[in-house]
Amino acid sequence: MRNLFNFIIRNSHWLVAILLVAFSFYLLFAHNSYQRSVYLTSANRVSGWLYAASGNVSSFFLLKKNNRELLERNALLEEELQKWRENADTFTGNDSLSAKAFVVDSSHVLPQFTFIPAEVVNLSFSGVNNFITINKGSKQGIKPDMGVISHRGVVGVVSNVSANFAVVIPVINPKFRLSARLKHSENNGSLSWSGRNIREAEVQELPRHENYSMGDTVITSYSRIFPKNLIIGTVSDLGKSADDNFITVNLELATDFYTLQDVLVIDDRYYEEQKVLEEIMER
Amino acid sequence: MKISYLRELFLFLLLILLQVLLLSRISLFGMATPLIYGYFLLKLPLGRNLFYVIISAFLMGLTIDIFLNTPGMNAAAITLVAMFRKSLMGLFFEKDEFEGFVPGMNNAPAPFVRFTIFTIFIHVTLLFFIESFTLFNMINTLLRIIISGVSSILLIIAIDKLIYRRKNSEQS
Repeated sequence: MRNLFNFIIRNSHWLVAILLVAFSFYLLFAHNSYQRSVYLTSANRVSGWLYAASGNVSSFFLLKKNNRELLERNALLEEELQKWRENADTFTGNDSLSAKAFVVDSSHVLPQFTFIPAEVVNLSFSGVNNFITINKGSKQGIKPDMGVISHRGVVGVVSNVSANFAVVIPVINPKFRLSARLKHSENNGSLSWSGRNIREAEVQELPRHENYSMGDTVITSYSRIFPKNLIIGTVSDLGKSADDNFITVNLELATDFYTLQDVLVIDDRYYEEQKVLEEIMER
Repeated sequence: MKISYLRELFLFLLLILLQVLLLSRISLFGMATPLIYGYFLLKLPLGRNLFYVIISAFLMGLTIDIFLNTPGMNAAAITLVAMFRKSLMGLFFEKDEFEGFVPGMNNAPAPFVRFTIFTIFIHVTLLFFIESFTLFNMINTLLRIIISGVSSILLIIAIDKLIYRRKNSEQS
C-alpha cells in the first residue's frame, strides 16, 4: 500500500498531465460538434470584448448565421406561397361555384414544391464548362435534376450529387436548356447561354410576331424541373437568329453569378411521377 | 525569482494575443497556420517544476481554444508536449545546466534551435492529427504539418533573436 502511495506521489505530475489531456479530449468531443457550450467559446465575455476591440471577425460569423436563418425562413415562406398559388389555381381553373364547397382544408395538402437552402462553396467561371458546387448533398435530400434558384431568379439544375455536396449546371453553361417565355405572352422559347458574358443569355425560337420591349421580364414556362413563372431575367435587346421564322432575344440574367452565395434547391414532390408518365409516351 | 514569474506571465499573455489576433488568421498556401504559442514552453527555465509547466501549458492551450472556438484541441496538444518537455531537454542540454537556465539564441543557439525544431514539430504534428482525427487524407495532413512547422520555427527563432538584440542594446 505504501509503495502504491509512493508511486503515485513520485509520478503525480504524470497523473496531472494525463488528467488534463483527458479533460481536453472530453472538451474536444463534447463541444466541437457544434457550439453547444456558450461558456467556453467566443460568446464568453472576455473574448467577446477582445474581439470587439480588435476587429469584427466574430461579427462576420454572426452575419453568416443570421443569413442562414433568413434563408431558411425564406424557404419556408416560398413553400407557403407556392401552396397558396396552387390553391388559387384550383379556384380559378375550374368552374368553381360548386367546387369551392368541397375544397380541402389547405393545411392538409402537402405543397408540391419544398425548398432546401444551400450555400455556394465553389463557383467556376473560368471557361465554357461552368459549374457551381453547393454544400448540400444526398444526405439532405438533394437529387440529380432538381432545380436551383436564388432569391433573384433561376440559377441552374443539379447534375451530380455526393453525400454532402452537389454540383449544379448553371444557366451560364452551354449545356443548359430551359423553356422560357415573356411574361405577357404565351409563346414559348428556348433559353440558352450565348457563351460570351456571364450576365447574359438568350431566348431562341420565339415566333416572329412576338411583341417585346426592353426590360420585359422573362419567366419559366413548361418545365419538369422548375415551377412556372419564376423570373429568369429581363430583355436587353434583339439577338441574331438563325432562322427567319423565329427571333432571338438577348436577356440580362436576374441572378448575379459574381456574387452568388445562397441558393434554394427545389424539391418537387411529383417529379418522379411526371417523369415516369412522360417516359411511357416517349417509348 | 519574482521577476522571472512576471516575465513569464507577460510572455504568456503576449503569445496568446499574437496567436489569436494575428497568426491564427493567416493561412499559408491556404492550408497551414503558424503556431507560436509553444514558444512559452521553450522559454521556461529548464529546471522549472513539472506541475507548473504542465498546468501553465494546459491553461495556455485552453485560452487559445476559447478564442478560436476549438475547445480541447490546442489544450490537448500543448499539454502532451509539456509532458515530453523534460525528456526532450535531456537530449539537447547538459543536465547540470538545468536549474535556472533559460535557453535562447543568446546563450546556446545550436541546442536551442534543435530543441525548438523538435518541440514545435511534435506540437504541430499532435495538433493537426487531433484536428483531422483520421488517417484518411495523410498527404494533406503531412503537408500542413510541414508548412506550419517550418513557418512556426522560423518565426520563433526570429522572435527570440529580436528579444535578445533588444536586451543586448539595453545593457550596453
